[in-house]
Amino acid sequence: MRKHETEVLVVGGGATGTGVLRDLAMRGFDATLVEQRDLTHGTTGRFHGLLHSGGRYVVKDPEAAVECIEENRVLRRIMPHCIEDTSGFFVVTPWDDEDFIPDFLAGCRAAGIPTAEIPVAEALRREPLLNPGISHCFEVPDASADAFLATQATVESARQHGATAFPYHEVRTLIRSGDRVVGARCRDLVGGEDVVITADLVINATGAWAGRIAASVGIDFVVQAGKGTMVAINHRMLNTVVNRCKMPADGDIIVPIRTVAVIGTTDEGVPDPERFSVEPWEVQLMLEEGEKLVPGISGMRVLRAWAGVRPLYQEEAAEDTRDVTRAYALLDHAARDGVEGFLTITGGKWGTFRQMAEVTVDSACRKLGVDRACRTHLEELPDRRNREGYHWLGERLARIEKEEDYGDLVCECELATRADVVRAIHEGDARTIDDVRRDVRLGMGPCQGGWCLPRVAGLLHEVRRSPVVDANVALREFLQERWKGLLPVVWGRQLHQARLDDLIFRSLLHVGALPGPASSPLGPVMYERPTDETTVEAAPTRTPHHATEPVVAGVDRDVVVVGGGLGGLSAAWHATLAGASTVVVTKGLGSLIWHTGCVDVLGYLAGFDEPVESPAAALDRLPADHPYAIVGRDALSRAIAGFRTLTEDGGYPLEGSLESNHLLPTALGAARPTCLAPSTMTAGDLRRRDPMLIVGLEGFSDLYPRMVAHNLNALGIPARGVSIDVPTVRRRRFVTATILASFFEREAFRSEVIDALARTGENASRIGFPAVLGLDRAPEVVADLSQRLGAEVFEIPTLPPSVPGIRLQNILRRAIGARGGKVLDNVEAVGIDAAGQSGISVITEAAARRQRFRGHSVVLATGGILGGGIFGSSDGRLSETVAGIEVSDVGSRLDWFGRRVGEYHPVFQAGVETSSDLRPRAGSPHPNVFVAGGLLAGADPIREGSLEGIALATGYAAGAAAASVATSRVAS
Amino acid sequence: MTQASRPIGVVPVEATLDNCIKCNICVTACPVAPVTDLFPGPKYEGPQAGRFRHDSQPSPDRSVDYCSGCRMCNEVCPTGVRIAEINARARAAMVADGAFGRRARLRNNLLARPLILGDLGAPAPGLVNWLFSFAPTRWMAEKLFAIDRRAPLPLYDGPRFRRWFASRPAVGGKAGTIVYFTACSTEHYETRVGRATVRLLEHLGFQVIVPEARCCGLPLLSNGEFPAARRYHRANVDSLIAHARAGRAIVGTSTSCTLTLKEEAPDLLDVHDDDSSLVAAHTFDIHEFLLGLAAEGALTGMQPLPMRLPYHPPCQYRAHRLGIPATEVMRLVPDLEVVESGVGCCGIAGTYAYKTEKYQIGMDVGRPLFEFVAREGAPVVACDSETCRWQITHGTGVPAIHPVEIVAAALGVEVEGPLADALRPLY
Repeated sequence: MRKHETEVLVVGGGATGTGVLRDLAMRGFDATLVEQRDLTHGTTGRFHGLLHSGGRYVVKDPEAAVECIEENRVLRRIMPHCIEDTSGFFVVTPWDDEDFIPDFLAGCRAAGIPTAEIPVAEALRREPLLNPGISHCFEVPDASADAFLATQATVESARQHGATAFPYHEVRTLIRSGDRVVGARCRDLVGGEDVVITADLVINATGAWAGRIAASVGIDFVVQAGKGTMVAINHRMLNTVVNRCKMPADGDIIVPIRTVAVIGTTDEGVPDPERFSVEPWEVQLMLEEGEKLVPGISGMRVLRAWAGVRPLYQEEAAEDTRDVTRAYALLDHAARDGVEGFLTITGGKWGTFRQMAEVTVDSACRKLGVDRACRTHLEELPDRRNREGYHWLGERLARIEKEEDYGDLVCECELATRADVVRAIHEGDARTIDDVRRDVRLGMGPCQGGWCLPRVAGLLHEVRRSPVVDANVALREFLQERWKGLLPVVWGRQLHQARLDDLIFRSLLHVGALPGPASSPLGPVMYERPTDETTVEAAPTRTPHHATEPVVAGVDRDVVVVGGGLGGLSAAWHATLAGASTVVVTKGLGSLIWHTGCVDVLGYLAGFDEPVESPAAALDRLPADHPYAIVGRDALSRAIAGFRTLTEDGGYPLEGSLESNHLLPTALGAARPTCLAPSTMTAGDLRRRDPMLIVGLEGFSDLYPRMVAHNLNALGIPARGVSIDVPTVRRRRFVTATILASFFEREAFRSEVIDALARTGENASRIGFPAVLGLDRAPEVVADLSQRLGAEVFEIPTLPPSVPGIRLQNILRRAIGARGGKVLDNVEAVGIDAAGQSGISVITEAAARRQRFRGHSVVLATGGILGGGIFGSSDGRLSETVAGIEVSDVGSRLDWFGRRVGEYHPVFQAGVETSSDLRPRAGSPHPNVFVAGGLLAGADPIREGSLEGIALATGYAAGAAAASVATSRVAS
Repeated sequence: MTQASRPIGVVPVEATLDNCIKCNICVTACPVAPVTDLFPGPKYEGPQAGRFRHDSQPSPDRSVDYCSGCRMCNEVCPTGVRIAEINARARAAMVADGAFGRRARLRNNLLARPLILGDLGAPAPGLVNWLFSFAPTRWMAEKLFAIDRRAPLPLYDGPRFRRWFASRPAVGGKAGTIVYFTACSTEHYETRVGRATVRLLEHLGFQVIVPEARCCGLPLLSNGEFPAARRYHRANVDSLIAHARAGRAIVGTSTSCTLTLKEEAPDLLDVHDDDSSLVAAHTFDIHEFLLGLAAEGALTGMQPLPMRLPYHPPCQYRAHRLGIPATEVMRLVPDLEVVESGVGCCGIAGTYAYKTEKYQIGMDVGRPLFEFVAREGAPVVACDSETCRWQITHGTGVPAIHPVEIVAAALGVEVEGPLADALRPLY
């Protein structure tokens, strides 16, 4: 047990608590703050980011409005770098009552809020996406604020004035001695010890948790937890805060903050500030109301939804939480409850935190018998990074551009650099990835951590030098935290993204198989699964590029294949082998470029955590509707054999057989089963126990060799990790996997690599590199490195793009071309026309028109949710995107997903059900349509590790069937 | 992401950034990022940086100017992010914000007005050709305007195309009337392409009209000079709209001009009025049009051309998203073996590699194509886009022709220049 003495103890590390800490410190008190998790973990980190002008409250709560505008002015002065001067509109939409206007204007006047009516045309010029049907627009000094940054800066200022802050110190109970609160008993979650803090005065600044803290010393009062749900849209369609000009209500505001626009908010009383869910009806309501301000907003990409709990204090519990005053309350428990040494400050809004702190510390001074004036409104907050006034949307991009830091990006969505992350870990003492997120704003963009998470985990491990399981747990916890925010809004593009992230974390990196527990005591609290059954209305889904296009003649072939992934390419290759003239139309490149470049046939059976050792033996245990069961073991064997021959002839042999899986290391060091692997990877097989050295390249952020090695150690493999500094890489401002692959094809570059490795003094009998060892000549590159290093060199697949995947794609494309087939990129199929006399046509999208590709048979290989062949809309409908063929039923949107990110998610098993010849069972536009690859129902290929096997086997079967139908027709 | 004139259902190019799933496929396709680290790549510039831009804010950009606009990224994107267009608009915002100095603006505006430049020199083509080939002049142009002295400036190849066209007797068309939208290069520098096209279409029974036309505006668009591009596009639409209303096909032999009329100008400039859309709907690449004739059985009588022809489909052609119609039409020529380059961009990217700071990038981008052409060793190489042809010839020394010349030759229509030279030994 640790002991700590302080003059004043502040409980709660949100805006209010840190504000109090700073004020105390500036007035010369010895002050200490404890927070149960990281700073801003509570409500401060979970609001929409509005710095109120007060306009919102002028009619309802004039007292709060005055506080708002006063503090608005102060905060703009002392922390401009945390504020974006967006300005704010109050607009009267067709749904709003114009009678409110005089009250609004009178209220603004009374509160001293500068307000100007601006012409609607001017408002629309400034915000072109605003509802053109608005009748009035009033401008007020609203702004948006970065509460994470503001809290950090506040604590930094407090520290500079001598204060202490202990995050991850959970108060278990306050300590009461007679009629006095004398401190708190805490648990240090990081150090794993109890801490007793004694103090002359304890200030309870725990917001919605305030009642709970006070109850620990027998003091009873009610702080209602008012849950506010918010929805973030992927981009800032507005640059001004836009409010509805009416009495406060749900969904009446859109706040542009940093890179997103947030629609807020609901207000629901919840019994427990740590146990609540975001319900579908709330998301729907936000989008419906948002639609009134910005028509079309509900069709934009929704990034995530979350909720915070407002602390709403009043002496008597209210019926509707909106009726509770937004003004704050300072409770002196000596006067109220006869308990000395204890103050509670609660209620209020983020924007008034400084004023709340001021009145609290004024009271503290009186209690402690001193007279010291507040100066928090006079002194600017410190900041290490920026002294140029208000922040603005383009600031990070401008900084990256100016400093040419783009090669150093860790979070590509939010443009956070390696230096930012390292600073957060060093200076911010970040323990979890969520701590890093709050500090540098990361993992909050479209991919919700897809790319930055493994990088941050790797950096956390490298910088902190803590046990690797800490990084593993941090990674898993953050994934779960993001999943929580995604669950209410996973449809459309976010569903596509979730599937790609699933490919990365579940399969490519095998995060679930990393050693260590699933969660730690440091993990975030607050999660419940949605319970409500309301489904969200369909948002506009796919908008055709041009409304009406003429259709022009394209290419006539025997077989038209839709989709350029492994399923489509192998179907096309087999069709050409069968003598059919074949064309592939593909919107873009397929999932080969996202995965390992190995051939997974079957890695896991449902219900088993242990990997399958022999795919051949496990095949019998698959259900009858599994794609393998549909096409038969024979088709699988032939497809695999054919592909092995093809790659061998292409000088890039795949090794292995259906009889046994390799067990290869992932880029985080987990063991991953796969059936066929290129010869460039197989020396990394973990069924062998001989030592290995993992080599990363400085400047290439997708492999952290020490993290890989330490995780392998946990599997019992002697491994070491080392990063090498290669001059050619260092000279470039950025490198990508494909750029490195081209470097490795040069003999001189390989010499540099060998020299750099020699300088480290590390060696082993087998050496693993990121999978960038050449593009067209990888086996030669690996052989040369092996020979010169005197070791078996192998590759480890990294985050997309996958160089090994590109190699396989190139081999297949060449094979198709060599047999007269064509692959047409950038040609998106939008329909199938079966009405014509002569066969069947695939209709594609083109500039200014549509085009017709005529054939005798069609193979649909559009890849399911991962490939974009299945679209999930917000109403829970799953549709096949080309021909509208029926998709298997996986229940309503609430049934799509499990509660935890690593669980089984039924939606990922959705697809087109077929008969044994791969013709759709229902809804096919023409009998000669065949289905291959990820579009098929009956399997979750990422979960069971069968992505490439299913693509090859069904591609083979569908290609052959399509060719057979087409050529027999031609012959007759 | 603004402008009010966009009809419902047309998605502004920036809105497509919401489609990005960050998958990095575009990064593997970009030909510029691997050869210069002044350009961090398409994902960074397009969907990522796009979230940090807003019309009402200052432009935060610099490196986006190094996007060549080749659209290799768009081509491979599985979710339909219009990266190249997002980048083009970001560059226009830089221009509007004054991010470029006066010299760069002057240079860009010169390069972006090929027709005006061509018209200026047309009275004395011999003199201009001599000046353009004369090292000191090129050195001066580089010093004054930062136009690289090595870049492949075109030379006049005789009297302007329209003079030839006007000098001919009108030919009636039993198959109908076709509008030929000529490229600036056809007017001055590759008039033979225009002559071959007219002869070919007349051979097929069409009456050919060559209407008044300005430059399509693409060079202005790719230099971020949007207000001028808007004027050019408007003038062209006004000139073409009567033909579109009459249901006539408007064909072009420059894949970039036709793409601009079809899509680039409307989408980049947010010009989606009925006239502009109707003109777009009637605009065809020449081979797209010929392929339609072939589908109707109206393109017959092809004579054998026993030769192996290296062919590079230009980026602007692939951006039509039609596959490669020229290959399909050339497939109909007996004994002709067309070998597609299978590589990306030639590097010139319109006016991009004319600029001193970008010349070497363009040459490095084009290297795989140059190697392909050199490996083939054929007397000519075919490519549908003019500046690409000049770049290929610049990079390899091999004369470059338009595929329409091949089709014309196969139909027995008179061709001139390098193709005529190449065919002579065959007969």
